[in-house]
Amino acid sequence: MKKMDNKKNFSINLAELIKNRELFIAFILLIIFFSVLSDSFLTTSNITNILLTTSIGGVLALGLAFVMMSGDFDLSFASAVGLLNLISIILIDKGLILWIVFPMVILAGILWAYFNSLLVIKLGIHAFIATIATSTIAKGFIYWISKGATYYGNYPKSLSIIGRGTIGVFPISSIIFITIAIITILLANHSKFGRHIYAVGNNSEAAEYVGIDSKKVRMISYLLEGCFIGIAAIILSSKLCSAPSAAGEGFMMTVIASAFLGATVFKPGVVNVGGSILAIFFLTIIENGLIMLNVPFYFKYLVQGLVIIGAVAFISLKGRKNEGPPLI
Amino acid sequence: MKNKEPILTCIKLNKSFGPTHAVNDISFTLNQGDIFGLVGENGAGKSTLIKIIGGECIPDSGNLFYKGSEVKWTKSFQALKNKIAIVHQEPLLVSSLSAVDNIFLGKESTKGIFIDEENILKKTRLLLKKYPIYPELILDEQIDKLSIDERVIIEILKALSYEPNILILDEPTASLPKKSSEILLKLLEDQSKEKNITFIYISHKLEEAIELCNKIMVMRNGKKIGILEKEEIDKNLLIKMMINQDLTQFYPKKSENIGNTILQVENLSSRTLKNINIKVKAGEIVGLYGLLGAGMNEIALSIFGINDFKEGTLFVDGEKLHKVEVLDMINRGVYLIPPDKHKFSLFDSFTLDENITIAHLYEIFPKFLMSKIKENKIAEKQAAKFNIKYRNINQLINELSGGNQQKIILARWLFKECNLLILVDPTVGIDIGAKREIYNLLRNLTSSKKGVLIVSSEINEIVGISDKIYTMRRGEITAELKKDEITQENILKNIL
Repeated sequence: MKKMDNKKNFSINLAELIKNRELFIAFILLIIFFSVLSDSFLTTSNITNILLTTSIGGVLALGLAFVMMSGDFDLSFASAVGLLNLISIILIDKGLILWIVFPMVILAGILWAYFNSLLVIKLGIHAFIATIATSTIAKGFIYWISKGATYYGNYPKSLSIIGRGTIGVFPISSIIFITIAIITILLANHSKFGRHIYAVGNNSEAAEYVGIDSKKVRMISYLLEGCFIGIAAIILSSKLCSAPSAAGEGFMMTVIASAFLGATVFKPGVVNVGGSILAIFFLTIIENGLIMLNVPFYFKYLVQGLVIIGAVAFISLKGRKNEGPPLI
Repeated sequence: MKNKEPILTCIKLNKSFGPTHAVNDISFTLNQGDIFGLVGENGAGKSTLIKIIGGECIPDSGNLFYKGSEVKWTKSFQALKNKIAIVHQEPLLVSSLSAVDNIFLGKESTKGIFIDEENILKKTRLLLKKYPIYPELILDEQIDKLSIDERVIIEILKALSYEPNILILDEPTASLPKKSSEILLKLLEDQSKEKNITFIYISHKLEEAIELCNKIMVMRNGKKIGILEKEEIDKNLLIKMMINQDLTQFYPKKSENIGNTILQVENLSSRTLKNINIKVKAGEIVGLYGLLGAGMNEIALSIFGINDFKEGTLFVDGEKLHKVEVLDMINRGVYLIPPDKHKFSLFDSFTLDENITIAHLYEIFPKFLMSKIKENKIAEKQAAKFNIKYRNINQLINELSGGNQQKIILARWLFKECNLLILVDPTVGIDIGAKREIYNLLRNLTSSKKGVLIVSSEINEIVGISDKIYTMRRGEITAELKKDEITQENILKNIL
């Protein structure tokens, strides 16, 4: 009798353990899959490579997660990173010292997000439309300044350590990302402010009735994103040591996909920081694994598109919310 | 001579929405040329009944006979095609189109593929000539530039343009100026006599209904209480039939110990409110009652700092407030439980404990980081105190029943000592048992020297629970009723 109970308890515990963690299991299966099929997948150089690729997109994904958690959206982060990358390359080229350039780039990121938040929150423009417009403006500035060509500044080799250097297996940029990720998880999931962000994103009217200033919370979420865009741009400039016109564009789909994919896990139906971090690794590993298996590069785009559809379908089929994660 | 043939017969109509039995075994017959009055409290099931007749709502069971044969509407246009039209309380108009275009929406005259505006205008003028309710109507004005009474008129004209056999009017005069409503009522009377049109007429203005109707049906809680013929109709009898009187012992005992004033509202005026003066004292439950839209909710929201107001002063515990803000009110122990918990109170992606702690996060967690263990513990304690039935404190809120969700919201606010609790429709859609628990809880609050201000659209509830009642009509307080003055008859007298 007791044995039966134990068995039953075990299966219940297993179900509880799997519940809301499907992506986590898929993640582990994915790693096993690529390790078996490719000899070069689970090598130290490839692990370093994966970590290096994840860090910039990861920082951006954390920023987008904040904005989406509070119920808004941003499509301009990719172009903004490109623009800030260009600015930091120019400033360093002009001979400004590092400790002035970095804060300036972060501040510029915050200003950028502030501009977005004014359009969306103060003027009430739909976040999609507002940030598509600002994204286009950023692109306009990039092509104006660089005349459409890649801008090569005189970027000191010693600075590229941020974007390219490693400590053992760990890239320095990855250590920056993980540090930020830990701070972000604490802020989002374990602080009162984080709870307020989730509350506003879930039901902004109800949030007002418990004394939360919804507009202020939404604005701070945008500003945090801006700060992260600045940090991502610093890492990017140090990695590239130059500013191609389309430097930021590559992050667009991966980061957006990570938000939706992340919303399938931990808090189903809700964009969340933990989910976004897991999802960005998941997506990078798929991309990297496909390359290791010599699959043509364009499959990456097919996979990204299917992942977004699959993630949103998964959430709505799970019935947590009829329409999947809040889009705006 | 009038042709008194039956035109519509309802037999044992039933319709439920979840646990609410909105229409319960209703049967009646309408003759041609009848003006059939339908009265009852808010939520008595009148609107659902007319929606069934007008094809906007499919009944769960029962039969509908129209002109001698059974009909089963599944869409409202089927009823409309058979010349049964409804004029809704809230005009259903396309706000970006003109008055004329709205009247002929869906039956526009065309020239080829284009709309023949001139022809429509001509038809509208004819319609206005035939039914001169409001001759000064500007026909080509866009709807959103018109006033509410003009919109109601357009809605009525739109219904009349179908030349209906049965015209159903849901409180058509509620927002009309006196002159227009007189003309409208006269018109209804003439049409029923001359053209044998049958009217179903819902109104809260009992005098109007008594004068106009030749039959009045009273509904209460979805049931038919009775039908009065012209010669039997009497206002006092109607009121007695409308209200239910055997529920007094359901409510806790009234307060005997009333203390200092906790909240005083002085000369509060806003867009919808006129010169509101109310007082809530320690130890008393104060009720606000009026018809839908008379301004009770606005008062509650203004006090809590959600709605802005033009003029007026608020005093909490004798202290004059210079600015009314939600956070400040919460810090003073004044809490509001708004209506419609799904819209204004619940965070449906939050777990039970997160829903309980959200209003007092800073008191519960003074440090930067929150401890989940502490949160669970506190929430479990609160849930036990409020007798909430749940499986796991970390389960999602939308897995609970309505009554338990409402108790979660009470547990959220009453985590900390409150000073004054304001509630708007706190017992809508919850079962009798949970209702009773909430009433007892409110009474316990006042026994420990707190104040309660309650807005409810259920007259039984207001009479049963309140120590003092303010009645409202069109944004104004019409009476302050205490002790023995609190009767349903008295309340109805002051709100109609």
